[in-house]
Amino acid sequence: MKKSILKIIISILALIFISTQVFAQEKKEEEGVSINLAPLRQEQLVYSLNVFDGKGWSGGFVPKTENTIYLIADKKSAICAKKTLVYFWPITARYMAAWRTLNEDIEGTLEVIKDEKVIKKLQKEDTVLCYPEGYWGEKNVLYKGEEARNWYNKYKDAEKKYYDELKKYYDARMEYRKKLEKFFEEVKKRREAGEKGPLNIEIPKEPEPPRAPDFYVTEPKKYYVLNLPAGRYKIRVRAGDGTIVEGSEKDVLVFTARRRGGVGYEIIPGNRWTQKEECNDPAQTIYAAGKNVLYFRPYSQDEYNELYHNKLLDPQNEGRIENWKWVHTEPIKNVYLTLFGREKILDRIEEKPYKVKQIPGPELGYNIVEFKEEYPGEKPTFTGYQLILSENLREKSYKIYLQSKEKNNENLSGSEREIRIIKKENANFLYYLSLFPLAVGGVVFAIRRRKIEK
Amino acid sequence: MEEKEIFLSAHTMKILAKRELLSSLYGWGLYIAIFISFLVSSFILKNFLQGIRENNIFISSYPLNFPLFTSVVIISLYLVIVSAISISREREQGTLEVLFYGPVSSFSFLMGKYITDMLLYFIILGFFAIYFLGVSLLTNLGFTIALVKAFVVSIFLASCVISFGLFISSLTGKVRSSIVWLIGILLAFLGIWFLQNIFLRIPSEALSSWMRYLQKTIGIIYHFVNWVSPFSYLSRGMESIWLGSMKPFLLNILYSVLYTVILLALSVHILRTKGVRA
Repeated sequence: MKKSILKIIISILALIFISTQVFAQEKKEEEGVSINLAPLRQEQLVYSLNVFDGKGWSGGFVPKTENTIYLIADKKSAICAKKTLVYFWPITARYMAAWRTLNEDIEGTLEVIKDEKVIKKLQKEDTVLCYPEGYWGEKNVLYKGEEARNWYNKYKDAEKKYYDELKKYYDARMEYRKKLEKFFEEVKKRREAGEKGPLNIEIPKEPEPPRAPDFYVTEPKKYYVLNLPAGRYKIRVRAGDGTIVEGSEKDVLVFTARRRGGVGYEIIPGNRWTQKEECNDPAQTIYAAGKNVLYFRPYSQDEYNELYHNKLLDPQNEGRIENWKWVHTEPIKNVYLTLFGREKILDRIEEKPYKVKQIPGPELGYNIVEFKEEYPGEKPTFTGYQLILSENLREKSYKIYLQSKEKNNENLSGSEREIRIIKKENANFLYYLSLFPLAVGGVVFAIRRRKIEK
Repeated sequence: MEEKEIFLSAHTMKILAKRELLSSLYGWGLYIAIFISFLVSSFILKNFLQGIRENNIFISSYPLNFPLFTSVVIISLYLVIVSAISISREREQGTLEVLFYGPVSSFSFLMGKYITDMLLYFIILGFFAIYFLGVSLLTNLGFTIALVKAFVVSIFLASCVISFGLFISSLTGKVRSSIVWLIGILLAFLGIWFLQNIFLRIPSEALSSWMRYLQKTIGIIYHFVNWVSPFSYLSRGMESIWLGSMKPFLLNILYSVLYTVILLALSVHILRTKGVRA
């Protein structure tokens, strides 16, 4: 009896403990929701971020409700404490910063603390984001200090040179128009005079427009630049008078990739091109059934913890600490996609641009065709490596991998994937296969019975 | 004297294990349990193939591992329940008391049970190998090295489940309470493990607020039962295969062995202190 009571008490205590844990976590997350349901702007000390996300540097901000800043280890990340107005936006269920209304830098020294010891004291530095492929390019690089200023000056010089050339171009163009008008007048005059055959008048040459700078650099901004090894830290801003700035204390979790330098594929199935598949993990196999056309787009990738990486992209994001995700860092270029089967290379596929063309008429449908520019400025829908899986593929299994064009067709490590052609028609036979233990049991039973009878 | 005791103990274990093993092999229960586990696996695999049929393409790591572990879980439950029934029945009917007047000790008795179940599992593993080879030939899903590794992991999962079952049986006295506790706890562990794995596959943005609450609750419970539930050893083993790294694979095996040793030692201790009477 006593034992039963004890068991019940333990069970109740366990339930209470779990419930308090869940409520505590929920409360922590929704702490601000009740406050911010009112459409009020609240002045807060926040951290503005420009952090390395595995691919490039992306911006964001850490409101008061988030206690931890997530950073990738051994990579530069720029952070800055600011005062701004924060409001809750119910549609996206996120805190937003009204930077235009208030954007005040907090001055002071950023202290980085590890194991209760201040390990770094940082001052603000000039930082710029450089986009080597231009303003709309996906790539960007963070530069700091002297290097940042140099890049900015380089961009400014390039920009000035461009505008100077542009001015010259407009002048030259006006000159060209005048010459062109004169040319037409001369032609008209001589034709009207009855001249026939070639007129031998020099045709004015149209001036070439100057090329805009092919890179873009943002204006230098003052940030604290952190570059820390993996671990847990604390940061705070110490003001000029030696006091700690209220609300500037945050935890910093610096994490690293679990696996690096992998090769992932985005696969566009020809029969439903808008629903892309991803084959990122080397352990994954591509199972195909019947005829299909697949377009492969290979990427370099690193594997990060889902929660940490989601929080890095936006500290208000959700995620699971138990999950891992591959982050595509950049497209892999200058490679062949090689199809291997029957102990030999079956095909070496080149990357090509493709265009999705809707079937004319009221019916739904489309064709994916190799892209050929039909009018100036036309762009392909996507580029990729086309792999045709025909119904005639006799082997059970094929392999694909990437071979570098630059390194004498060397295989790219981690790019290998298996393609298995499934025999879907045999699915119903699986149930018959389940019966074989009963058959074995029957045989054992019969043998045993015969033995007993003997 | 010590050497003689060890020999006697080993001899007793051998006799007990042989008796139990033959009894299980000559009965229909084992074959029916394997049949049910294969039936469930076939159902899962058929749905998997159906998915490929509809989409023409399916990307997955080791599609045979999930049906294999479903079979392993069903079989482990069968083994542990049969074992628990036999311990409780022998205790209830007084057979255990009679046995303990002889050269049978708590250690040799429980080890006999454990060895029987493990030997049975090795025989069942042979059935698994044939079934999955058949599946591979029929469907071309592939009998890979990863599947062989999964077979190895399954041995240690079975060991964890069996030792857990023996531990629960040593705690409880009667057949009915033994079965109720065992099924209750194992199903709860299985449910938590299953829900946690389901939630991990759903993007958090897709979860409604009450689902997120449930996910967090499950997450916290899972965190606490992580080292107690034998099914967590399965998750870790699966992940080590998926990572393709030997270190976590071997570490998981080590943890499973430690789990088994601790639970068996506790079971022996409980049986000694509680006595053999119902």
